[in-house]
Amino acid sequence: MRHIVCFGNELHGDDGFGVRIYAQLRQLTWPKNVEIFNAGIAGLNALRFFENCSQAILVDALANFGNTGEIFALKPEDLADRPQQLTGHGLGIPYLLEALKVIREPLPDILIVGVEIAAVTPFFSGLSDKTEQAVPKAVRLIQDLLPE
Amino acid sequence: MSKRTIQIDLNRVEGDLDFQLELEDNKVVDARCIGSMYRGFEQILISRKPKDSLVITPRICGICGTAQLTAAVLALENLAGIAVPPAAIRIRNLCLMAETVQSDLRQSFLFFTADFCHPKYDDRSFYQKARTAFLPFKGWVHRGALEHSRHLVEIIALFGGQWPHSSYMLPGGVTTPASSRHIIDSLSILNKVTRWFEQNIIGTDLDSWLALESADEFFTWLTAKEAHADGAIGLFTMMSRGIGLHHVGFGTPHMLSYGSYDDPADAGTFPPQRKHLFRAGFLNGDTGNVEPFEQAEITEHVRYSWFQPYTGGRHPFQGQTIPDYQPHSDRYTWCKAPRYQDKVVQTGPLADALIDGEPLISSLYQAEGGNAWLRQFARLRRTARLLHKMRETLNELAAHPNDPHMIPPDKLEIPDGEGCGLVTAARGALGHWLQVTDGVISCYQVITPTAWNASPKDSEGRHGHWESSLIGLTVDDPDDPVEIGHIIRSHDPCLVCTVHVLDTGKRMTLWP
Repeated sequence: MRHIVCFGNELHGDDGFGVRIYAQLRQLTWPKNVEIFNAGIAGLNALRFFENCSQAILVDALANFGNTGEIFALKPEDLADRPQQLTGHGLGIPYLLEALKVIREPLPDILIVGVEIAAVTPFFSGLSDKTEQAVPKAVRLIQDLLPE
Repeated sequence: MSKRTIQIDLNRVEGDLDFQLELEDNKVVDARCIGSMYRGFEQILISRKPKDSLVITPRICGICGTAQLTAAVLALENLAGIAVPPAAIRIRNLCLMAETVQSDLRQSFLFFTADFCHPKYDDRSFYQKARTAFLPFKGWVHRGALEHSRHLVEIIALFGGQWPHSSYMLPGGVTTPASSRHIIDSLSILNKVTRWFEQNIIGTDLDSWLALESADEFFTWLTAKEAHADGAIGLFTMMSRGIGLHHVGFGTPHMLSYGSYDDPADAGTFPPQRKHLFRAGFLNGDTGNVEPFEQAEITEHVRYSWFQPYTGGRHPFQGQTIPDYQPHSDRYTWCKAPRYQDKVVQTGPLADALIDGEPLISSLYQAEGGNAWLRQFARLRRTARLLHKMRETLNELAAHPNDPHMIPPDKLEIPDGEGCGLVTAARGALGHWLQVTDGVISCYQVITPTAWNASPKDSEGRHGHWESSLIGLTVDDPDDPVEIGHIIRSHDPCLVCTVHVLDTGKRMTLWP
């Protein structure tokens, strides 16, 4: 199986990027062995979404990786020297990836698809313009990463 | 005299907490515990149908949603006089215990013990052992806790369909009976966790560990075998005491417990008279006596909180929650200040064990008082008791296979009136107070365990428990106050704890 696991808080502006992508991905037709999950702000509880799959794509908002609206496909090791959280939720993706290494052998192939966001805006619904513009491109990238 | 303020953020998904400490010559002279996020659950519930609380309140917390659900359903049952069958009480208890054990294992071994790997201790003889056992993602205890804690809540998913934020308890019972499949699956999860706990955490079997009844017995046991000393509890005890955590972090001497787990054998009695498996009570710190607990003695103050002012304290049924943010006043938090018999109290596993009369914890308390080590130790002692109680509960469910899991209430709707639901969550006493007028919720007041412990000052200017547990403490290095981290973590605020010093702008992370 191949899993797409989307993270984010749609109540906090651009932090909702992953959840926005989730909504878009659900509109599309996918090969039988692809499953899509909305992990929201789950921390360690999201470990469940990485069971029974050989490949996993994480979708999340990024900070300090590039220009606003820029899309990145990262490997877990690209986050290794950034122990602090990327975004506002709990302990963040790096912590989750570390935990995954402890409890999963062998690990699925992991890629992180993210967008550099403008700002996490508490209690604001909707994405900023540049982040919104990145949505279709990110969706196409994920489609290309998971061919039939 | 050098004076400075340090600020400690305790950020978590469930709501944000900061500490502001005033230091004079490295000694904490004042402390303010700041709830920096307003949640508003009590307002969200106003004008809704009473049973909406079963869906909304489990969202208060991503760690103790089962406890919130239990409090919500008990409040509805209390209001309407709705009976519950023994099997439903057992299923509720089992799920509540699973949630508590998960939380306690994570608090202890993902957060508390990681601090022993702090570079401050690199000249201590225990340092290598600490890193081997407790270093995040590398240490054998940390890795084991990560793996084993996560399966426990699968028991809740079996009965509740999901965890967190499940809504499977309804007035009159639960939505699913305990099928033999549920019981077998639950036992298999429990067996795995128990085996790991025995081999890695206590270094002996559950029964021998639970048979230890006094401080002397415990300290003799600790050095009797290598497996005892080198188990996680042995290491944690040796390291905590090595750095003196048994001499600090006492806080208020008054303790409160609502009692844990309704007794299924007493299902015919309605709460709050229904017996508990672990007793309720109030430990009066002035006299040392445990007195009967009476919920009418609870009040909440707002003198130092960002709410529309009222005088003195109010019982939750007279409670008022009207936000009134005043950042430039002497008010400093979104938490109210709950008091019991007008006293500052603490709640949590230490209070629960002492009030229940658990012999080992009581003996250690008699010897050394309610210090930071004992508070954390009591949490792990509880894990052993709950693993044992969960097995007992599953066996009881298996012995009564066709018992009803629900007694359908006579009336479809919850009538007008008032009720309260009191439970013990992982962090201590949790209560919901509900009033229904003209068929809808007219008032809903929640007092969480952290509201008790992280309370600000009250109308009399008395500090809350966490605040008072830090006042008087001397720190070696105000730029890296790891002592404060230990004490704060013994209170189980959990997750990220970063410390920064305002006057230099330098930011430090205790862990992670």
